[in-house]
Amino acid sequence: MIETGIPRLDKYLGGGIPEQKSLLFSISPEVEESNVAIHVLQHNLKQGNDCIYIVSKSSPKQVRQSFTEFGWPLADYPGTLYMVDGYSRLIGAPSDQDYLIFEPHDILSYEDVIEELLLDTVPEGSLLAFDSLSNVMDLCGERDALKGVKRINGEIGERNSVAIYNFTAWPYKENIMYRIQRRFDGIVEVHSVTEGAFTGQAYRVKQTSWNGVTGTSVPFKVFRPGGIKLYIPKMLVVGPFKAGKTTFIKQLSERSTQVDRMGATIAVEHGTVDHKGYRAELFGIPGQERFAPLMDKMGATASCAILVIDASDPSFEKARAAVDYIRRAGIPFVVAANKRDMPSTVGDEEIRRMLDLHDVPIIDTVATSGRGVMETFEALVQRMEEVSDAD
Amino acid sequence: MLIETGIDRLDELLKGGLPPVTNTLLYAAPFIGKDTIAKHYALAGLQAGEPVIFVLTDRSFLEMKDEMKQLDSNFPSYEDKGMVRYIDVYSKSVELDEKGPNVTFVDSPINREQITASIIKAEKAFTEEYEQHRLILDSLSTLVVYSDAKAVFRFLQVVSGTCQRMGSTSIFTMTRGMHEELEVQTIKHLMDGVVEMKEDGARMQIRVQGCGEVVSRNWIDYLLEQDEVRLTGAFRMSRVA
Repeated sequence: MIETGIPRLDKYLGGGIPEQKSLLFSISPEVEESNVAIHVLQHNLKQGNDCIYIVSKSSPKQVRQSFTEFGWPLADYPGTLYMVDGYSRLIGAPSDQDYLIFEPHDILSYEDVIEELLLDTVPEGSLLAFDSLSNVMDLCGERDALKGVKRINGEIGERNSVAIYNFTAWPYKENIMYRIQRRFDGIVEVHSVTEGAFTGQAYRVKQTSWNGVTGTSVPFKVFRPGGIKLYIPKMLVVGPFKAGKTTFIKQLSERSTQVDRMGATIAVEHGTVDHKGYRAELFGIPGQERFAPLMDKMGATASCAILVIDASDPSFEKARAAVDYIRRAGIPFVVAANKRDMPSTVGDEEIRRMLDLHDVPIIDTVATSGRGVMETFEALVQRMEEVSDAD
Repeated sequence: MLIETGIDRLDELLKGGLPPVTNTLLYAAPFIGKDTIAKHYALAGLQAGEPVIFVLTDRSFLEMKDEMKQLDSNFPSYEDKGMVRYIDVYSKSVELDEKGPNVTFVDSPINREQITASIIKAEKAFTEEYEQHRLILDSLSTLVVYSDAKAVFRFLQVVSGTCQRMGSTSIFTMTRGMHEELEVQTIKHLMDGVVEMKEDGARMQIRVQGCGEVVSRNWIDYLLEQDEVRLTGAFRMSRVA
């Protein structure tokens, strides 16, 4: 099994790409950034896997620079990257690469180099990334290129390896698209999305010949540095006055900006979380009642919320009001039962009963020390995944 | 409102200018004024308050910047206002290490994905502030040379659609004499009009196909004088084909 390292995708693929299989990333030409191959390669190099990377759109030097821009300088990895230069001859530039495509307009030229690498150089179970299929189809002719791909995938099968292909879904003829669909064991589509506050990309597993989960559309963004991250444009942190929201956001985010006055938060706080393949923008909503209209407004465009309550304060009236706000917004949420280090606090079951929470997860936290804070975040994204998978 | 090209008598020929939110192919032999028309088109846009996107495959954004400055010393002030964006598809491929604000560098003319993405990004940014903008892609010929006409056709299908959605009035240049007739026809198919320029002995002539209603569809004589294209041929009286 070869993992893609793309957040959540491996889960949908049933752990990754099984050996002997090929996976096509079919990318809409309108997608702003689509360095899928680079993301998958660095994930595998990091794990010590040897990888073959066929580049045809940029020079090997530019590709190396891209890796660096993503924060993944190639020298740092235990795995070896064998870069195949399909670019230089195309524009008539000199190449200092060990592996060079001499005839970029002839698919056999690609096959020769790939075969040599697969048989003599890389061990079984390696990853081949072909970037990009559409480009090589344009250069070598669509039919010939696809026949070549069939042979390459055959070699990959014999060597118990895995191949991924980057493919830009230009408006090709229907019969060509049909051939492409049959030529690969799995297809992941990438397209651009604009949804409320979110503009970015989304991927979706379209088909797999093994038992992958198809259909769920997962929004993501590409960050330099950082690579592909699932992006949550608006995660609310809500809760009554002095429940510890500001500290919570501070602990949760790498950088946060807030305006404090007299110890009580009077403006919307903001922070950013980078954790487990997610990047989320945090917005704290102050607890005072006069911010209720703000809450209504923010809730309408938010994706999820963390409710921070003071577990040492047994009057849950304000907390109840916050639960009502969130419920009205209809977004997934979890509860952080904060100040668990205080001498007497209310138990989870009591909180659940008082706030009428049913199956909403409650996480014990001490925001001042950071205890339970990351767990709260993880519980929330888990809950969001459950909701989106159920759709 | 028609989109003025900045060449007075060409606008007259076009009965005021190019129809808004259309794609026009500027198809001309080398060195007979194609660049001049493209530059005047950009400048006319800026003077009318419309921002401009340059997609450059054959020169760096700095060269373009200098040429525009020569045409109008006021050009830097438009740049300062953020009305000019460059997509430089040249510098990186010849290993020029240039930098600048409002420039996106694309690795190579082969990377049509990145060109498309950069165009969309630039257009999106303009649509937030401006109702319409202009785009000049110079040139399609280079893109065709590095792959083939069919691939560029598919690229243009996406880009021309995007331009229309984003409210861009766009000019795509192509060099006459570099391509086979079938390739040119393939590209023309995606355009709303063609402005053609040719050299016939000592005469230089221009003609308009498509582009909405025009005064004449005949070849019209013109003169190329330092940074000016002057249509000298008569067309007021000519038959409208």
